[in-house]
This record gives sequence, C-alpha cells and structure tokens, in this order.
Amino acid sequence: METLLVFLALLGVTSTEQLFVGDQVLRVTARNEEHITLLRVLGEQEELQVDFWRHPNSLGHPVDLRVPFPSLQGVKKFLDSHNFSYSIMIEDVQELLDEEKESMRRSRRVKRSSRMFDFTSYHTIDEIYEWMDVLVEDHASLVSKVQIGQSYEQRPLLVLKFSTGGSNRPAIWLDTGIHAREWITQATGVWTANKIAKEYGQDPSVTAILDSMDIFLEIVTNPDGFAFTHSSNRLWRKTRSINAGSRCVGVDPNRNWDAGFGGAGSSSNPCSETYHGPHAHSEKEVRAIVDFIRAHGNFKSVISIHSYSQMLLFPYGYRRAPTPDHQEMNELAKKAVSDLAAVFGTKYTYGSIANTIYMAGGTTIDWAYDNGVKYSFTLELRDSGRYGFLLPSSQIVPTATETWPALLDIMVHVLEHPY
Amino acid sequence: MPGLRASPPAFLLLLALAFPRGSLAVQELEPGSRSAAAAARVALLYRNFQAGSLGGLRALGQVRKATLKNIPESGHKYYLQFSTEDYRTGEDAGNCLATVLFPKKKSRPVVSIKCSHTKDQKEIQEEDNRFYQRIRHQSKPITANNIPDSYGNIEPALEPVWALAVAGSSSIMWEKSTETLGYFLAQVKSVRQWLRKDDFIEFDYTVLLHEIPTQEIISCHMRLTWLP
Repeated sequence: METLLVFLALLGVTSTEQLFVGDQVLRVTARNEEHITLLRVLGEQEELQVDFWRHPNSLGHPVDLRVPFPSLQGVKKFLDSHNFSYSIMIEDVQELLDEEKESMRRSRRVKRSSRMFDFTSYHTIDEIYEWMDVLVEDHASLVSKVQIGQSYEQRPLLVLKFSTGGSNRPAIWLDTGIHAREWITQATGVWTANKIAKEYGQDPSVTAILDSMDIFLEIVTNPDGFAFTHSSNRLWRKTRSINAGSRCVGVDPNRNWDAGFGGAGSSSNPCSETYHGPHAHSEKEVRAIVDFIRAHGNFKSVISIHSYSQMLLFPYGYRRAPTPDHQEMNELAKKAVSDLAAVFGTKYTYGSIANTIYMAGGTTIDWAYDNGVKYSFTLELRDSGRYGFLLPSSQIVPTATETWPALLDIMVHVLEHPY
Repeated sequence: MPGLRASPPAFLLLLALAFPRGSLAVQELEPGSRSAAAAARVALLYRNFQAGSLGGLRALGQVRKATLKNIPESGHKYYLQFSTEDYRTGEDAGNCLATVLFPKKKSRPVVSIKCSHTKDQKEIQEEDNRFYQRIRHQSKPITANNIPDSYGNIEPALEPVWALAVAGSSSIMWEKSTETLGYFLAQVKSVRQWLRKDDFIEFDYTVLLHEIPTQEIISCHMRLTWLP
C-alpha cells in the first residue's frame, strides 16, 4: 500500500504544471531615470514575484512585466501612485497558454493527416498499421481499432471498427490480404477504410448504413505472410505456421475454415499452396476471426477480398449445389458487377465459387454462410492475368474506386434486408 | 498456320438439333463460363507463340460463343468465338475463331485458330523491328531480375525482354495446359542474354508460372532465340 502511495505521489509531482491563471503582462513606459530605478526596486520585491519580460534598462524602451494575479492590485497601485503610464498587454496569461497549446495540438493533427498517406503506392505492414492509427485519430468519433488476436509469429491482428454508437449493432465484416501475395487487396482495404471514414455524413448510403450498422474491416488479415512477401518471397500465399514433420511452411487460410473442410480443391500436403492445415481453424489468423464473429453474434455480411480474376462470388465452394439464397445473391452480384463496370469498363464474372472459379473446400464465406451470415461474398479484384499478383501500383486507385460501388451495393442491400 | 474455315452458325445449330438436349455430345456453354475462357486462353497461348511476334501479342477479351463437344476416343473439343486485346495496351485487337481439343490421352492441346486484326500487319512488323533493334543495340548482354518487380513495374528498357518472355512462355504454358489446369505468367525471375554472331537474339530465362486451380508457382527454365 505504501509503495502504491509513493508511486501515486511521484505521478502527482511529475504532472504538476505551473499555472498562470489571472496573471497579466503589463507594458510600462519609464519617463525618467527615477522610473527606471523604481521599476528595478519593484522587481527586487521577492514576495511580489514580478517577472520582467523586457527589463528596465534605458529610457525610451518599453518595459514588459508579468505580474502574478495575487500581486496585481498592489503593483497597479504602485504604478499609479508614481505616475507610470502602462497598458495591459496580456489580460490572462493562462488563457493565452491554453490557446497556444490547443493550436499546437491542432496543427500537429493537421500535419499528420495532411502528411497524406500515398494511396497510389504499395505499403509495408508497419506503414499500414501506422496509418490506421492516424485514421482513428482523425475520425475518433467514428473509427476505432480492435485487436482480435495474434498471428503465428505474434503480430497483432488488427481490425478497424466503424461505428456511430449503439450496442452490438448488426454488422458487416470486410477482410483483405488473407492471401499475402494479393497486394492489390490490402491496398484496396486501406483506400476503402479511408473512403468509409470520409463519406460518413457526406454520402447518403454510407451515412444510412453507419447510422444503424457497424462495419469491421481487417486490412492485413495475414500479417506474417504479408511481411514475408516484403522480405523474402513476393509470391507467398499462405500463413507462416510451421507444419509438424514437414520442411514446408504455411497453411492456406482460405481452405482452413470449417465448411467442407478437407474437401475438393484443398490439399492434405503441407507443401501445397492449398494445404488446408491439420484441422479446421488451426490457423490463429482464422481462429481469431471465427471467435470474433461468433462472440459478436450479430454479423449480417462477410465480404472477403482476394485477387486476381475479376469475379464476384458467393457460396458454395465446397459443393456445386446452389444455396437456398442463390437467386437473391445472384441478382445482387449481377447489380454490383454492373455498377463496378460502369466506372471504367472493367468486366467481372459472377456466380457461386464452385461454378464460376473452381471447387474449394474450407473457404471463409462458406463458413460464414453456414454459420448464419447470409450475405457472404468473395471478390477477386484486378486483373485477369496480364500482371496477376504483380499489379502495377498505378492501378491501385482505379481498382479501389471501381470496387467501391460494388461494395456499397452489397452493404446497402444488407441494410435494406434485415434478417 | 492452319486456318479454320468459319463454321457457319447453322452447322452448330444442326449439331445441337441432331443430338437431343441432355446428351453429353454437344453442349452450348455460357460465354462467361470459366471453362470457355480457359479454352480461349489456351488458343491464344498457341497463337502468341506461333506468331512469333511481340507487337502482335494478344490477351483474351470476351468470349462471345462457346460450344463443347465430346469426341469419343479423342477428347473434349471446344468451339470458340472471342474478342481479343492488345497484350500491352489493352486496345481492341480483333476477333478470333478457334477450336481447342484437349486430348483424352495426356498430350498437349490441339489448337486451330484464325483471327481478324485491327492493327495493320505492317504496323506489327515495324513494332517487332523496333523491339529487335532495341535489343540488338545493347552494348553489353542484357541481364535482369524480377520483371515486373514487386510493385508491378517494368523498366521501359526491359519491355522488349518482357514481351519476349510472354511470347516464349506461351509455348510452355500451351503445352502444359489441360482442360482443368491453366497457366499465367507470374513473373520473369531472371533473364540473361547470350550474344550471337548471327542475327538471332538469344536469351536464357527463368520464368515463374502461376498454375490454376492448384495456385502453385512453377519455376521454368526457358532458352529462346528470336528473329522477327
């Protein structure tokens, strides 16, 4: 208990700031040598604590003195009685200090957000995580950062939460970068996060969505893999978990979900790019999302973003048979793809995973769908094979820009079709 | 290049009528279907290699019409109509009619393809000559790594080298393609030029191919010579 008190006391001492409430700064004109002497004498009165900002040195130069509040009356009487002429330069020093502090804080904020993150470049994980903090700072009433777990190599798994309040509102989940080499997706995630924050209060659809729902966006869903694409192998896809008994590293996080786990389109070979892992949700990166969505209990949509192929897909991947909601999903996909194409003419195909791309067991959106999240979609962004994973950075903003209306279509539909 | 006599739509219609619906023999495919697109890509891989041209390289535009025929004892044959784009610029490059047979026995796809063109043949030849001259006029043998780089950039000086890799690797990818396995050129990992006394240009490449649907990255060594 004593040590606690000492600690608190130390805290107390260090946080004591000298206050200047009510102190004034007076500008005095000395008309003769006597005045100069008198002012010097005034300064020597210790109990008055007068603080010269401009010392009484010679005639013709103004003398500035800060007078603490308790001494004000006395000093002014003194000046009056000796016929000094003076004016009040600063009415309240503390007020001025407070204003200055606030203006410095504001200028720091403006400087950071107008440091203008370069959305036209690809970034490292540190740069993205740093920018996320700036976004939260700049939109503190709308955006917060949530850590949902840790990766295999113990990197934080971070999610941006967009919320205007309420308690456990129906929510939309977005993830990018689950496959490390699909760099256009993390870049699109960053742009989209910024877009959502910007458009709340401006765009009627975004505003309507966020007024009754929350959006959760995980930009770097596979941080270990992403770091590896920067440091060692640009074409790395999987996580970086060590596989027991194998020299090969990593599990395909989009085959690791408990929906058709181990089925067609996934491999039991740790060296394979579609290795499903030793068991469903073996990957911490996947488990964290599973736990988060389960605990939340009120997610209405999961949108998982990949590249490349230019497709908008919905369940199932683990079987060819259509879901009961196939028609609705198909219609929504059709609209979203059409609105995407309207931006720059980029053509997407759409349909169920199994029938549009290939059979794949253990995917994110199949799990989400089978666990009650009806509006589950996967996007495969640009391009259709020319550059593939190595999409030129000049295509980042166009890609994100054209994808936005498609995302909005889905989110608006979710808003307008509660279940 | 073996031409494909344009199959009149009537012939296909006849085929469709001759075989009752539900028969596996002939099947009209959705133009947007993955297998139609994959087959069209194989046809273009073949053409891109055969044409031996850098200026004439094409990418798939849209599949307009696709039909699949099961030929017993032989394999699956695709009949395709599709539009194409210039590989570099993305501009409309004309339409193609093609057949692609994926043999039952594991061997390379049999392709016949005929295309219209928007670019003048002369224009293409001039482009090829420009590429050729740019490479020939290097004082030192060209060596490079990672084309494109991690950020998708290709140095302008290395564009001809990349285009050559696209043309050459098309041959590898065509031969490896099956009805279920497709390929894209992911990256030129390394390239090294071998200077020759004759007019041919010679390069040694390591190319990385992206295999679908396995998602594997296959590393291939390619030695090619070129004379436009």
